[in-house]
Amino acid sequence: MASNQQSAKTTEAEHEPAPILQQMAIFACVLFVSSLISPLFPASFPVPTPVIGLVLMYVLLASHAIKLYQVEKMADFLISLIAFLFVPSGVQMANSLNVFTDDGALTGVMLIVVIVLATIILLVVIAYTTACFMWISRKVFHKSTDVQ
Amino acid sequence: MTWVNFFGNALDPKVGGIAFFGIFLSLVVFLIGQWLFKITNGFFLCQPLFVGMVLGIFILWLLSKWFGVSLPTFYQAAYKPGGDILFWFLNPATIAFAIPLYRRNDVFKKFWLEIVLSLIVGMVISLVVIYFVAKAAGLNNAMISSMLPQAATTAVAMPISAAVGGNSAVTAMACILNAVLIYALADVLIKVFRLNSDPVGAGLGLGTAGHTVGSAKAVQLGSVQGAMASIAVVVISIVVDIVVPPFASMMHLF
Repeated sequence: MASNQQSAKTTEAEHEPAPILQQMAIFACVLFVSSLISPLFPASFPVPTPVIGLVLMYVLLASHAIKLYQVEKMADFLISLIAFLFVPSGVQMANSLNVFTDDGALTGVMLIVVIVLATIILLVVIAYTTACFMWISRKVFHKSTDVQ
Repeated sequence: MTWVNFFGNALDPKVGGIAFFGIFLSLVVFLIGQWLFKITNGFFLCQPLFVGMVLGIFILWLLSKWFGVSLPTFYQAAYKPGGDILFWFLNPATIAFAIPLYRRNDVFKKFWLEIVLSLIVGMVISLVVIYFVAKAAGLNNAMISSMLPQAATTAVAMPISAAVGGNSAVTAMACILNAVLIYALADVLIKVFRLNSDPVGAGLGLGTAGHTVGSAKAVQLGSVQGAMASIAVVVISIVVDIVVPPFASMMHLF
């Protein structure tokens, strides 16, 4: 589902992809370093390992310490699997089905209603806020907002 | 030894080989979901992940009835060892999202301030609205906390949900339902709220609310929306991590 960016043009020159074990090693290294940094944050402000890894990976790419061809193949493979990898987190609900009925029969219905509303709220609020900020940067700072 | 006993032994954590059941079940239900999605021509309730979740829980429930144990016990004993192995792969898969973000670095560099500001401000406003909606719906604090981090990708949302006193399983379910709903409702919502008048906003909104499914939807609207959505999927996880814990402690949710 997320592999739609595969067709996006890359600015870097064409290069043979690095051997898959080297790509895995880079991922493993980034994850390992992130897992060392993650516990340094206080419990009240948790920063999960993947968040640090995400930032670290982006910084390494942006600073050209890692080239795209060294991680691209592994990343595309993992992203193409992402929907499947979410299955266990969904099935995990088997452990907590009681939340639907704990506080009376309506809780489950209300929970679903809130999730539906939250999805719509997120979409609409983010879109309008962005439109607002784009308007400001167009009118106040006279910045061109053409993307292409 | 009857074959029910044999099957029971195969599911016994002490015997070993236990992790295979969870992995096998996950694959089978997901593939059934993919097949259903294909033969129904993309009916929104037949999204592979959603089918996988519902069918997976249903099969576990059937088996737990058969073996005469409670569903949580059966889940812990039979599914979780294998499920945890698959779940671990979300760690590298989540950091892999840095690569699509870097591919759109040209757009991101130009608009990073607008994107980050919009997502932070939009996220705070959304959190306030979601909080009061959940409060009005009569959910308890643990459930409200579970509702807050759902914009982030599942691997990030779950630990944050647990840290702010929520139930991470409920958060994961919310993330999956988000994608199902965006897939079903995106076209209607975009029309009703005229979201496409600002392509950047439409892209960021779809990426936030619908995760990777939202970004697939955004690609259909145009390349600007697609690029923005794939940026939003990544950046919103970091924004959620920064915004949700302070918000939750401000609202005394935990």
